[in-house]
Amino acid sequence: MNLAKEARDAYLGHVTRRHFLKSAGAGLGALAFASLGAGSAVLPDVRSPRGPHFAPRARRVIFLHMAGGPSPLELFDYKPELARLHGQDCPESLLEGKRFAFIRGIPKMLGPQATFQQHGESGAWISNHMPHLGQVADKIAFLKAMHTDEFNHAPAQLLVHSGSPRLGRPSMGSWVTYGLGTENENLPAFVVLLSGGAAPDAGASVYGSGFLPTVYQGVQCRTKGDPVLFLGDPDGVPRSLRRRSIDAINAINRQQHEEVGDPEILTRIAQYEMAFRMQTSVPDAMEIRREPAYIHEMYGTEPGETAFSNNCLLARRLVERGVRFVQLFHWGWDSHGAGESEALNGGFLERCQETDRPVAALLKDLEQRGLLEETLVIWGGEFGRTPMLENRSGSDNPFVGRDHHSDVYTMWMAGGGIKGGITHGETDEIGYSAVSGRVHVHDLQATILHVLGFDHERLTYPFQGRDFRLTDVHGHVVREVLA
Amino acid sequence: MKQSLFWLGVGLAFVVLMLVLVPGSGRPSDFSLFLGRFHPLVVHLPIGILVVAVLLEALSRMPSLRGRYDTGILALLYIGVWSSILAVVAGLYLAQGGGYAAGQLAWHKRMGVLVVLFASLAYLYKAWPGLSERWLRHWERRVYGIAMGVMLLAVTLTGHFGGVLTHGSDYLSRYLPDELRQMAGLPKKADIGRLQLENPAETTVYAALIAPILESRCIACHGPDAQRGGLRLDTPGFIMEGGDDGPPIIAGEAHESALIHRIWLPVSSDEKMPPLESPQLSIAEAELLRWWIDAGASFEELLPEVEWSPVTQTIVDHMGLGEIRTGIFALDTVPPDSMDIVQLAGLGLAVTPLAENEPYLQVRCVHPETCTDADGLQEALRPLARNIAWLDLGRSSVGDDLVGGIADLPHVTRLHLQQTSVTDAGLAYLGDLEFLEYLNLYGTAVTDSGLVHLETLPALRSIYLWQTGVTDEGIRRLQTAIPDLYINTGLSLTPVEPDTTGS
Repeated sequence: MNLAKEARDAYLGHVTRRHFLKSAGAGLGALAFASLGAGSAVLPDVRSPRGPHFAPRARRVIFLHMAGGPSPLELFDYKPELARLHGQDCPESLLEGKRFAFIRGIPKMLGPQATFQQHGESGAWISNHMPHLGQVADKIAFLKAMHTDEFNHAPAQLLVHSGSPRLGRPSMGSWVTYGLGTENENLPAFVVLLSGGAAPDAGASVYGSGFLPTVYQGVQCRTKGDPVLFLGDPDGVPRSLRRRSIDAINAINRQQHEEVGDPEILTRIAQYEMAFRMQTSVPDAMEIRREPAYIHEMYGTEPGETAFSNNCLLARRLVERGVRFVQLFHWGWDSHGAGESEALNGGFLERCQETDRPVAALLKDLEQRGLLEETLVIWGGEFGRTPMLENRSGSDNPFVGRDHHSDVYTMWMAGGGIKGGITHGETDEIGYSAVSGRVHVHDLQATILHVLGFDHERLTYPFQGRDFRLTDVHGHVVREVLA
Repeated sequence: MKQSLFWLGVGLAFVVLMLVLVPGSGRPSDFSLFLGRFHPLVVHLPIGILVVAVLLEALSRMPSLRGRYDTGILALLYIGVWSSILAVVAGLYLAQGGGYAAGQLAWHKRMGVLVVLFASLAYLYKAWPGLSERWLRHWERRVYGIAMGVMLLAVTLTGHFGGVLTHGSDYLSRYLPDELRQMAGLPKKADIGRLQLENPAETTVYAALIAPILESRCIACHGPDAQRGGLRLDTPGFIMEGGDDGPPIIAGEAHESALIHRIWLPVSSDEKMPPLESPQLSIAEAELLRWWIDAGASFEELLPEVEWSPVTQTIVDHMGLGEIRTGIFALDTVPPDSMDIVQLAGLGLAVTPLAENEPYLQVRCVHPETCTDADGLQEALRPLARNIAWLDLGRSSVGDDLVGGIADLPHVTRLHLQQTSVTDAGLAYLGDLEFLEYLNLYGTAVTDSGLVHLETLPALRSIYLWQTGVTDEGIRRLQTAIPDLYINTGLSLTPVEPDTTGS
């Protein structure tokens, strides 16, 4: 009954003067907006994108988000001096004016919980926890002086993915899809794959479309069971009947759009069409069992499970089929040391083992298929970790960990448009502050968009009276890492 | 009178002596530089005095004023001669300090000496009208007039070259209105300091940016005319050869390079280059030199190949270097017709612009199962032949006959034919694709004999041959033909047992 009443009110609101006057205040604005929209009532279609500003170097993106903040000091940022200082009190001068998520008082320094070795012709330092990644070191550009504004997971993740630590902005994948569209209209242009047992702290907003039409939002696919829930046709519903019912629903939706002019209705129509096509294309793309044994061996996959390795293989299958942006989240890098699962000598090592081989395999597999030079691969978390030991309980604790650290951390890029085998940015002797080559999250975003052919200052969307962009009012392209 | 003649002779002899004795190069003593600094002080005396003498002489040609100024003119000429002698001598010492463009300096010097000579000649004829031999008397007035004229001309030219030496050759014309500049054949005011390159894509960084800096700041003393410290900076060979103190440049290490040291020394240092009194490098010029040396001091690297630092990018942006268009982007290609695009898209291909304001397209076979109509595809590609830059037919049922159609797409830069039924016969069609940079053939039946057709591709940079019939021998041959080609034949991951020990 409520629905019916709502529908009648909406209809009356559209056709009667009384309703118009009743909502005159807000209504006038809405009317003006509707008339603006009417002139340009185009389907927000991923098949008719805005197109790049200049010839792109990469056509697709795979973003491997290591949610929780992996410690660079145990992975890439080799600091022998920190080992020497292990166990000493942190000098107070380092703590002045700083805030940490958990560290209070004067913490002790914590030496690297890893051994390091140089890899490849570039001599990149990679720890013993990532033995396979060393084999592709020369493909990678390390950004060792990344920094962010946030030291808590959710806002930091939002900043990485939407350019703002607060909710409501479109995610990077949405911006890219909005700009470049899809290469395959049978699959979502922006696919999200989760692993690690938990969703990102910031929730689905890290792959939401914000104020962009929802057609650009990330579509989460499951790696266990049906990739997309309720995608299969129910028993007794043949494909032709499904087609006819979608046609009928879309006809009604189109009529509604003509009456009220809400662009979201167009998105809804597009989504119905997309879902119909996905019914056949998604199961095909997501079926990793069809891969030969040596590929499974290479990635170390666990078919039938929810695993990061499966997601890496899926990511390759998806970009191969023209998916524009594949976003992986792997939770569990939050190594505070408060318990085994989140300790540098506990869960952290498991995360390394879960990700090292598939990530190296992904780069190699993309490469041998000729896809790596067209695909931008980004690895990293939302912030780094302190060179100080976090000992929350203050008591003897068999587990070691580090607190969140926003001043400096490592991310890496590889593939399309990126110079391999280089390190940009340098940290001090203990990996606490940047010495040179600082790169802010907005700079990373500007660089990603640049590689895809966009001037990040010109990829904008008008909302609430101004043009918004991924990099807000910041961002400089990190030219040093461009090929 | 005789006395003045004697002293005039002494003065002229002094000039000649100084011309011979004051060395043109070598490190001058502080005292000679001290003397040299008087040149700008005295140099304006002869200019004013001799010009007034000429003016008075011109006035006295008027009948009513005839002869009235003769005494004054005589005195002016005498003072003029002596002041120009002083100016010349001081000038010789000043020139020792170096840093002046050799050609202009030589002309300035010559003209200055001419001023002394003709001012003296004019004085002689003014002082002793009956000086000449009888047969010359007839010419006397004329000789005097000519001497005055040549003197005026020499004063003007000396002054001009002097101005050019101190203020630069564009000092006068700098603020000339653009209309007049164009009439004079000068570039527009806004274009001053901007790069004017015929063919930026094939110009080296050295020629475009580095040589001009050396030319304007260093070559006067370290070039064909003078080689102070035994150093020449006018050719790559001389630059690398270095001077008495060794090579000025250590490629890749600006901070170890004497050239950079000398530039940044404080002005109080004797080692400072260019010396204090010479025009100095701008900060932008110094940065360009530093960046060029740090980047390896290459004399061959072309502008499009170079990696700009953020700072040098800004500098060259302001010099109007702009975007260097290479490859297909340097061509004048007519934009595609939208109806042709619709037609191609109708065959199940995704057709999108490569970039805004570019006439090129990226074309991708979205549904491999639908890209089966080779004839139709070839037909639809034809009107867009010059516009297709990226063509992705991977995983489709493309065969050799369609590849024949691709041969007619002259501007293809990236071509995906992976996992198709393309064979060696198909590759034979691709040998003329002048701009082809990327070729993906993985998962096809191509073999060594097909690769032979690709050896002529001038732009090819990467080729993917995993899961093909290609052998090591074929790879070796292709690599020899195109040395900087990246050839991928598949990669395996060597399993490593994780070492979970800490530090």
